[in-house]
Amino acid sequence: MRINWYLTFVVFFLLSTKTYSQEERSEDAKPVITEELDEVIVTATRTIRQLSSLPLPVQLISKKDIASINSQRLDDLLEEQTGLITVPDFGGGEGIQLQGLDSQYTLILLDGVPLIGRSAGTLDLNRISVGNIKQIEVVKGASSSLYGSEALGGVINIITDTPKEGFNGKINQRVGSFGTYDTGLDLGYKKKKLGLNFFINRFSSDGFDLNSDDALRTVDPFSNYTLTAKANYDFSDKLSLKVSGRFFTQTQDFVASESLDGESDINEWNTHIRLKNEFNEKWESELEFYATRYKADEFLNEEDGLLFSESFFNQLMIRPEFRTTFQATENSTFIGGLGLTHETLERTDFSENPIFNSPYIYLQYDTNLNDKLNIILGARFDSHNRYESQFSPKTAIRYAIADNLFVKGSVGYGFKAPDFRQLYFNFTNATVGYTVLGYNAVPEAIADLEEQGQINTILVPLSEFEDELKPENSVAMNLGFDYKPISSVNLGINVFRNNINDLIDTRVVANKNNGQNVFSYYNVNEVYTQGLEFNASWKPNNQLKISGGYQLLYAKDKAAEEAFENGEVFARENPASPAFRLETDDYFGLFNRSRHMANFKVFYSFEKWKADVNMRATYRSRFGLIDTNFNNYLDAYDTFVDGYSIWDIAFNKTIQDAYQVGLGVDNIFGFTDTQNITNIPGRIIYGKLNINF
Amino acid sequence: MKNYQLLTLLTLFLAFTSCSSDDDAPNLLEVESRTFSNLFAPQEGGIDPNSGQPLPVSGEFTKFDFTSGQITTSDTEWDVAFRGSAIIVNGGVSRGTEDEPERTGDAATYIVTAAFADVNTVDESLFLQDTAETYAIVTGSGNGWYTYNPANNTIAPTPGKVLVFRTRNNTYAKVEILSYYRDAPAEITPEIAANDSRYYTFNYVFNPNEGETTFNE
Repeated sequence: MRINWYLTFVVFFLLSTKTYSQEERSEDAKPVITEELDEVIVTATRTIRQLSSLPLPVQLISKKDIASINSQRLDDLLEEQTGLITVPDFGGGEGIQLQGLDSQYTLILLDGVPLIGRSAGTLDLNRISVGNIKQIEVVKGASSSLYGSEALGGVINIITDTPKEGFNGKINQRVGSFGTYDTGLDLGYKKKKLGLNFFINRFSSDGFDLNSDDALRTVDPFSNYTLTAKANYDFSDKLSLKVSGRFFTQTQDFVASESLDGESDINEWNTHIRLKNEFNEKWESELEFYATRYKADEFLNEEDGLLFSESFFNQLMIRPEFRTTFQATENSTFIGGLGLTHETLERTDFSENPIFNSPYIYLQYDTNLNDKLNIILGARFDSHNRYESQFSPKTAIRYAIADNLFVKGSVGYGFKAPDFRQLYFNFTNATVGYTVLGYNAVPEAIADLEEQGQINTILVPLSEFEDELKPENSVAMNLGFDYKPISSVNLGINVFRNNINDLIDTRVVANKNNGQNVFSYYNVNEVYTQGLEFNASWKPNNQLKISGGYQLLYAKDKAAEEAFENGEVFARENPASPAFRLETDDYFGLFNRSRHMANFKVFYSFEKWKADVNMRATYRSRFGLIDTNFNNYLDAYDTFVDGYSIWDIAFNKTIQDAYQVGLGVDNIFGFTDTQNITNIPGRIIYGKLNINF
Repeated sequence: MKNYQLLTLLTLFLAFTSCSSDDDAPNLLEVESRTFSNLFAPQEGGIDPNSGQPLPVSGEFTKFDFTSGQITTSDTEWDVAFRGSAIIVNGGVSRGTEDEPERTGDAATYIVTAAFADVNTVDESLFLQDTAETYAIVTGSGNGWYTYNPANNTIAPTPGKVLVFRTRNNTYAKVEILSYYRDAPAEITPEIAANDSRYYTFNYVFNPNEGETTFNE
C-alpha cells in the first residue's frame, strides 16, 4: 500500500516540476488522418501487409484505441472486440474465447514469439501490461500453417513499440477502485543506427470479494512488475540486430480456507534475438533465437505455520528459427522458415520430467494474380518426439468484386499438441482420493496402484494406451465480405465454421478400492463451432466514430447432438418430478458459450479542447455453466446464467501536449453475478495521468 | 327360416362373446402402479467428515419387498435393498462389506435409458446380479442410477434411468427413482443436502403375476 502512494506521489511530483518537452509529440492529440489504409499487420502472413488487403478475418487494436479506453491489461482490451470474450478459468486466470473456442486453442504471441505458462490450459491475460504496446493483431481461423501448435482457433500477436527519433518517454499512473494501481515508465531513444526501449510497469490490486459468506476472496491481493528492454542496431542499410528481454514477477496471497493460507508466485522471463539481413531486393533472411521460462510456485501453511502443501510449475522453451523471404516478382512473395522447439517441464505430481523436441518447416506463397485477386497458399510440417507429426496446410483467397466490395475466404488446418499435463500427470487427491493420470503415465501408474492393492477393476484395457495420444485438430473455414458503401462507412461480415476432432477429454479408466476412480485423458470428442460475425463502423468526420459488432455462435458436440436425435437424453422439470424425453431442439450446446455477443462504441473528440470522450457497451446473452439437471448435457431445462451488458465511459484531455488526464467509469451500472461470473468485480472508477517527454 | 338363421347367429354371437372372457389367462392380478416415499437408507462410514479420508461403509441395508410393497427386515423375503446411494438385489453374491446381507433369492436387475412410461416389456437377457466385485447397479456418479454434483454436494437420480427388477418370486417391476431427499423437495437447498439425504422416493410398476413380463396396466 505504501509503495502505491509513494509511486503516485512521484508521478505528481514529476508533473509539478516538469519543464516543457523538447519535441511536439503526442499521438493522441494530433488530428490524425482517419483513413485506415495505412494500417499494416504482420501476423497474418509474417510479412507486412495492409490490413484491408488481407484475405483472412483480422482485427487490429491500435495504440490510440488502447489509450482512449485507458486499458491497462490485455484482458480489458480484448473483451471489447467483436466475438472475443474473456472467460475466468478454474485454474486461475482469464483466457480468451475466440469463435467459440476455448482459450487453450488461441496462440498468444509477443512480437511474434509465443508466451508460455499454461498450467491448466489457459494463458492468463492479466499477466500482460499494455503500457508499451504499439498494436494488437488478432487473426481468426486456424493458423497452424505458419505458427504450428495452439494456433487452432486463431492467433493474437502483441506488438511492442519501437522508439522514435531522439529521446522520449512517458510516465503513467492510474488509480482505480479495488485498490488498483498501475504505474509505468516507458523510455525510448533512437539516434541513427541505435534504437533503445525501456519499459517498467508495476500493477497491483487489493483483489475483490464477491461472496462475503466464506473466508475466501474471489481474487486475492497481488502485485506484479513487468520489465522490458529492447535494443535495435542497424549495422548497415541491410543488416540489423534486435535484442529484447522481458521479465515479469508477481506475488499473490493464496488463501485456500479459514485455516490455510500462503502465497503464489510467478516468475517469467523471455529473451528474443533477431538478426536480419537483406541480401538484395529479392532476398531477405532472419535468424531468430527465442528462449523463455515460466515458473509458478505456491504453498499453503496451516494456522500453526506448518507447511500444508506446496506445488511448482517450471516450463522452459527454446526456439531457434531461420526465415527467408523471397520476392519472386512484384506481385508474389515466398516466405519459408525452419526451426526447432525445445520444451521442458518440471511440475508437482508428474510421472517424469518430460522433454519435447519438435523441428518444423513451413512455406507460404502469397501472390496477386491480378489487381483483383490475391491468393495465399501455405503449409507447415511439425515433427515431434512424443506425439504424431502434423501437416498443416492453409489457403486463402481475396477477390475484388467491385472497388468497394471484396469477398475473402480461407480454409486452414489447425492443431494443438497434447500438453504435458495430458501426458504425464500423476496426481492423487489427498482428501477425496481420486487419481488423475496423463495418457503416457497410465500403464506404469496403474501397475503401481495395482501392486499397492488400490485397484478394484480396470475398465479400459491398458493396451489402449500403446498408441500415441493424437493432437487435437481442426479444419477452419471462413467466408466474408467487406463492403464500403460510402467512404465513411465500413461493413464486414464473416461466416465461420470450425470442425474440431480428437478433442481430449477425461474418462474413468479404473475403479479404486476406496470407491473413487482413476481418470485419464483420451481423444474422443468431435465438436464444431459455427456462426457469423458482423462489424460496422461509421466515421462521418474526424470527431465522431461509431462502431458496432455482433457475433452469432453455435458451438456443439456432435456426440451430444446424436444422443438427442436418438432420444437418449432425458430431463426433469424439478429434481423430484418424473423424467421425460428431450427433443433435438432442446440441446443448447457447449458450456460457457453465448449464442449472441455484441458491442457498441461511440468515440467523440473535441479537437478545440484536445479532449475526447467515449462510451462502450458489450453484451453477452445467456449461457450455461453447469449441467444443473444431471443429464450431462446443457439443455433448455438447465438453469442458465442470465445475459448481461457492461457499459463503460472514459474521458481524456491533453494539456500542453505533454500531459494527458483521463477519468472514467468501467461497468457504470455495477453489474455483478456473484454466483457465476468471477471476473467482473463491479463498478470501477479510475483516474489516470500520462506525462510525455 | 329367416328366424332360424337369426337365432343361429345370435347363438353363435353369444357363444363367442361369452367365451372371450374365458380366453384371458385365468385369474390374472392387476398390474400395480405405486409411489413409495421416504425409504430411509442410512449408512455409517463413507468419507470421514474430519479427515476427509474414506472409511469402510457399514450399517444395515433397508430392504424392500415388491410383493407387499413394503419395507421388510426379513433375511430372505426381500427383493432390493438400499444403503446410502448403494442399491443391491437379492440375487448373486455379497461383496462382503460390513453388514451386507447374504443373497438368498434369484432376484436380478438392469438399468435401461428410457422414459418410464415407455418401458413396457422386460428383456431377460439384460439381467445382472450382484457379484463379489461389483453390484449389478454399479456405484459411482454417472455409472448407475444417480449423478453427483460436487458443486453443491447433491445426489440426483439421473433422468431417464429406469431400473427393471426380477423379484425373488420371478415377478417383474420397473422403478424410477425420483428423489434422494426427504419428502422429495422441488429445490435442494444446502440445508436439505446436508441433513435430509438418503430418503428415497420412487415410482414403481409391479406386475404381480409370476413370469408375466409386461407392465401394461
